[in-house]
Amino acid sequence: MLRARELTKRYRQGEATITALDGFSYDFPPGATAVVGPSGSGKTTLLNLLAGFDRPSAGSVELAGVRIDELDEDDRAGVRLQHAGFVFQSWNLLPTLSALENVAFPLLLAGVPRGERERRALGLLERVGLAGRANHRPNQLSGGEQQRVAIARALALEPAVLFADEPTGNLDSAAGRMVLDLLLEHAVGERRLVLVTHDLQVASRAERILHLRDGRLIDVEEKG
Amino acid sequence: MELLTLVWRNLTARLTRSTFTWLGIAVATASMVLFLSFGEGLRHALAAEMGNMGPQIRIVAQGTDAFSPPLPELPPEMLGQIEELAPELGIEKVIPAVVMFRGGFDPASSFLFYGLPEGSDPRDFYPKAEVAAGRLDPHPNGAVVGSKKAELNHLTLGKPLRLSREVTVPVVGVMKPAGSMVDSFIFVPMKTLQRVLGTKNYGVFLLQLEPGVNVDEVARKLEEAIPGIDAQSTNEALKFAERAMRIGDLIRFGISLVALVVGGLLVANTVMMSVYERTREFGVMRAIGARRRFIFGLVLSEALFLALTGGLAGVAAGVAGSAVINVYTEHAVGLALSAVTPRLALFSMAVALALGLIAGLLPARNASRIPVTEALGRV
Repeated sequence: MLRARELTKRYRQGEATITALDGFSYDFPPGATAVVGPSGSGKTTLLNLLAGFDRPSAGSVELAGVRIDELDEDDRAGVRLQHAGFVFQSWNLLPTLSALENVAFPLLLAGVPRGERERRALGLLERVGLAGRANHRPNQLSGGEQQRVAIARALALEPAVLFADEPTGNLDSAAGRMVLDLLLEHAVGERRLVLVTHDLQVASRAERILHLRDGRLIDVEEKG
Repeated sequence: MELLTLVWRNLTARLTRSTFTWLGIAVATASMVLFLSFGEGLRHALAAEMGNMGPQIRIVAQGTDAFSPPLPELPPEMLGQIEELAPELGIEKVIPAVVMFRGGFDPASSFLFYGLPEGSDPRDFYPKAEVAAGRLDPHPNGAVVGSKKAELNHLTLGKPLRLSREVTVPVVGVMKPAGSMVDSFIFVPMKTLQRVLGTKNYGVFLLQLEPGVNVDEVARKLEEAIPGIDAQSTNEALKFAERAMRIGDLIRFGISLVALVVGGLLVANTVMMSVYERTREFGVMRAIGARRRFIFGLVLSEALFLALTGGLAGVAAGVAGSAVINVYTEHAVGLALSAVTPRLALFSMAVALALGLIAGLLPARNASRIPVTEALGRV
């Protein structure tokens, strides 16, 4: 489950206090949920709080039954490892590792034995159509390929929630479509995808769209 | 892909920088090994030397340290006093001798003369002494030369050896190499040396004890019975030498510490730069779910890996350097003065690792505390 209650984030900027997110409450149902809004609407802040990258100034976040707003940063990392996956706009693969090793990295953190790690990582690369590029380093892959490796890495531990922040932002339309298909493929059954984007066409592929403005949730658009 | 693989990948990703850092540690460790190997070599040489010596006690005038050539300050009547006490104390033999040192720092121009009494030859000092040419007894008026001294100064049988303006003696014997300090000595009749020094006094009495006699107790009793003397047992001499060498060790360690601190700073700089450049990577790892201790361990392992491998290379280079030094010292003084003992190698490794640990702690701590949002530029 993924639930936010009265989620608020304030930053101090010199003398002024800026409210980046203001009383956001929402129960994310299974399936894909897109979060849209103009620049500065609080999309990134919301994702930071939902994923436990940051702590809220007020309110609560429950991820997979755990109140992550009450945990310290290290324990939040532990919850992320077990229950959440991430896909960023700029891929963020580890540059010194091969595609296979990047995918296997969360498995290493989770203590999965080496042979099992490699077997599962290769299976994931096959799923995203990159088994043939397993031994390539990130700088030997195209943007679309890197994003697919990042998706494979995010799926390595079969997370309950997949967070994607502008996953198609740096890709051409064909590669973007492929990446989006892979993300949506995962959001079945009890699994959830939270897709932050400013691209309404991308958002329209989700089952519902949350509209943010000035740090507030102003509309929830449920689709047929 | 285990932790070591990650460490290796990260270090080789910045190969030039890592290599220079590694070399810095290797050179620093090698210099420490070499500096300290002198102390170890001297300890070994001295222990071997003491083991080879015949007499167990040497009596010198009070105030003479264990390793300086003693001045002729012991009056002839003192010999009688000691000989009188000999049966009671279990002293088997008393050998009076005179010592004279001439020359400077260069082994070829320094000469250590031992004046032996009639009826005595180098075997009373070093029971294993053997003659290579001529004879072992310098009496009535000759010189028996240690093998190294003979080689360095081209002293062959019959060659005249000038002790002073008035006194010159011919070489009557050249000894076989013994691998000890005796190789650099020249033995002459005591009366000859006393004439050179213009004295009837002795410089040293060497005492051979009966088997089973307590050496330190005899030395103590002699000092009590005869005022103004210093009875030094071989044990005592070793202890004195150990104290002197400890001081030398400390000085040498202090000097080599400068190199080591520079090596440590190199590691700290390399790891710190690498942490700074990889801020985003650490952010990604944390975002995926890496705990702080994983990042801490990863960065610290990089510093320790550099220190461990650099330290090992440094010890290996130190061993090689020590061997080269010994080729020279064996040629010059007949002794291997440098030794890389297991304890020195272990100590050097421990120092290198400790430096790596200290140098890596701060960067590792910083890396593990980078907030995810800042590292990923998501503020």
